[in-house]
Amino acid sequence: MNPIIIIGSGHAGLTLARELRARDKRQSITIVSQEPIEAYYKPNLSKALTLNKSAKDLVMKNRATLEQDLSAELLENTSVAEINCDQKRIQCIAKVNDSNEVKAFELAYDKLVIATGATPISLPIKDAKEFTLTINNLQDYKVFREQIKQAKRIVIIGAGFVGSELASDLSNNGYQVDVVDRSSWPLQQVMPQIMGSQVEQAITEQGATWHFETTVEEITKNKQGTLAVYLANGKIIETDRVISAVGLKPNIDLAQTAGLKTSNGIVIDSYSQTSADDVFAIGDCVEYNGKPLPFIAPATLAAKTLAKTLSGDKTLLKIPPQPVAVKINKCPTLICPANGETGDWKVSGENQDIEAEYVNERNETLGFALSGKKTSLKADYLSRL
Amino acid sequence: MSNSIIWQCLTCGFVYDEAKGIPEEGIAPGTTWDDVPENWLCPDCAMGKDDFVMQEVN
Repeated sequence: MNPIIIIGSGHAGLTLARELRARDKRQSITIVSQEPIEAYYKPNLSKALTLNKSAKDLVMKNRATLEQDLSAELLENTSVAEINCDQKRIQCIAKVNDSNEVKAFELAYDKLVIATGATPISLPIKDAKEFTLTINNLQDYKVFREQIKQAKRIVIIGAGFVGSELASDLSNNGYQVDVVDRSSWPLQQVMPQIMGSQVEQAITEQGATWHFETTVEEITKNKQGTLAVYLANGKIIETDRVISAVGLKPNIDLAQTAGLKTSNGIVIDSYSQTSADDVFAIGDCVEYNGKPLPFIAPATLAAKTLAKTLSGDKTLLKIPPQPVAVKINKCPTLICPANGETGDWKVSGENQDIEAEYVNERNETLGFALSGKKTSLKADYLSRL
Repeated sequence: MSNSIIWQCLTCGFVYDEAKGIPEEGIAPGTTWDDVPENWLCPDCAMGKDDFVMQEVN
């Protein structure tokens, strides 16, 4: 029988392979990935300086270990050019060593799982790619570490999860950091102002400067090789490097070309199946009930659930509210975002120990955010959801 | 020979050492994995107990 083929070797793809293997020793599994195949914890990319870890240190399992643990065929540096859902085949293009040479071949699948993840959104400014770095995989991280060796000043665009953690990590390690975001406080979408102000202050104390309620309009290179970042509010920041962290968009091109139903992400049903038979999707590339499924925990759950389904135990995908840890030096925070419904924040506590509950009109808990010592209340808050 | 066992989170790599516990989270040194509350969450990735695997101590 043909294998289960997983496209993508990020957290979702590797977790699925692990769970499939745990359920069935004999099932043949093939992982095709355009990146080198190695397991690492992506959220560590925005705090690795403080953890004192290089790109190599961040690898939890290398290819050889994964090959042994998963007994799977691992095809790395191999991109998938096309999916033929009718014939149940995929077209692959593999890089041959480090040369420019490529090798094209076809693989047949029994079941196909698309776990192609998401790509950083590009800023809508001229030459964004040339002047900004994005950090979304280990390769990006290697480039980032190389690029900041000679840098002293760094501008971060975006004050969400990645931008705020990077601002904390870089300023904690001696870099002069400027953060630009259109919002009014860090992590505005997931925490109330009073808590955002504490995050802001904790990072300010490490030497970072915030530029809220404005956007970047242009970046130019000065004669000395430094960069000038022009903000909509008229300010100009001179800097050595610019990092863009303004969010991710699901990778749907491959699915779209294959004729699968897509919207912002690859549309899946409650069994993680796409619009084609025997083709499934998990992780950052999907759209479920009209919404993306970002973060590590939902991807883990989806992978575990799909492993059951693919092993013959058809199981509904249920995603309960799940907390996300935000690592800000001196201001650790745990956030459980609301599931789309709007409400109001109920806040208590003081200084850096704050509990904030997001409630609707009927006083039902929709989500929460806890900081400092209050993070110990997480189990209690989770039980209210 | 010590009976202390070290557990590691499969998702993020966080290590739980039974001998050390996590005093700052109210888990005393010497707390066995079985005695860690079921609703405990990994301090790094916030995943639950189910996602931990046992790692042998050398």
